[in-house]
Amino acid sequence: MDSATVAAADGGDALVLVGTVVGVHGVRGNVKIKSYTDDPAALDRYRPILDGAGRPVRLRVVGEAKGTVVAQFHGVGDRDAAEALRGTRLFVPRSALPPAAEEEFYHADLIGMAVDLLSGERIGTLVAVENFGAGDVLEVQPPQGASIFVPFTRSTVPVVDLGGRRIVVDPPAGLLEPVPDEGDDAAEGLS
Amino acid sequence: MARSVWKGPFVDGYLLRKAERARSSGRNEIIRIWSRRSTILPQFVGLTFGVHNGHKFIPVLVNENMIGHRFGEFSPTRTYQGHAGDKKARRG
Repeated sequence: MDSATVAAADGGDALVLVGTVVGVHGVRGNVKIKSYTDDPAALDRYRPILDGAGRPVRLRVVGEAKGTVVAQFHGVGDRDAAEALRGTRLFVPRSALPPAAEEEFYHADLIGMAVDLLSGERIGTLVAVENFGAGDVLEVQPPQGASIFVPFTRSTVPVVDLGGRRIVVDPPAGLLEPVPDEGDDAAEGLS
Repeated sequence: MARSVWKGPFVDGYLLRKAERARSSGRNEIIRIWSRRSTILPQFVGLTFGVHNGHKFIPVLVNENMIGHRFGEFSPTRTYQGHAGDKKARRG
């Protein structure tokens, strides 16, 4: 995830990047959009959708094609006009997203938060939220060195302070310790 | 070709010992492992492993649905930079 997914809007409301026009589809003015929403085809359910300049755009999803959604922009009826939209980034104001359920947090809210220990010591900034099939993990970038992955569980992350833009981590043993030079395989007599 | 059933699942020996140590200690700890090839066994359920992806350790909290899979499946070795969009994370 990149931190550029959220940008400040004129009204102070953050903007969330939800898609990018990556090409055209057919001769009737349809475009292909790389959607970043959980359900790619649900892109047109959000109101308002804004372009990179903050102008509202109206679009309707009409299909899917090779990992993209095919959409029709209001007022765009031919391929040349659709070509002009290539590269357009589509945003939704953060306030337009529905409230998250209990224990659920939008990635857009979490990314950029400061990460503190229970003692108050700051260990870094949250740069990404990933899920590799074993639950959500938070990627924390310390001021120096490689990033750290923290399991997003209630025991490891007891506090998520959305207003204060910080999360508090209670790291299990072994999470923050430096990595030994070699794998334990050698130490365990397996090499 | 699939592994022969008569051989049983493959697990590196050191990993079994580490898991046993962690379970008996009762401490909340991450068990750092490099053995991506090892099969996840029922006795690993509830433990958190840090599975090396060649670069970092990815936390893998083992649950029942993972039994029979390999640790490496949950620790990708290639980076994909996506966008947050409207995606949500659930605190487990």
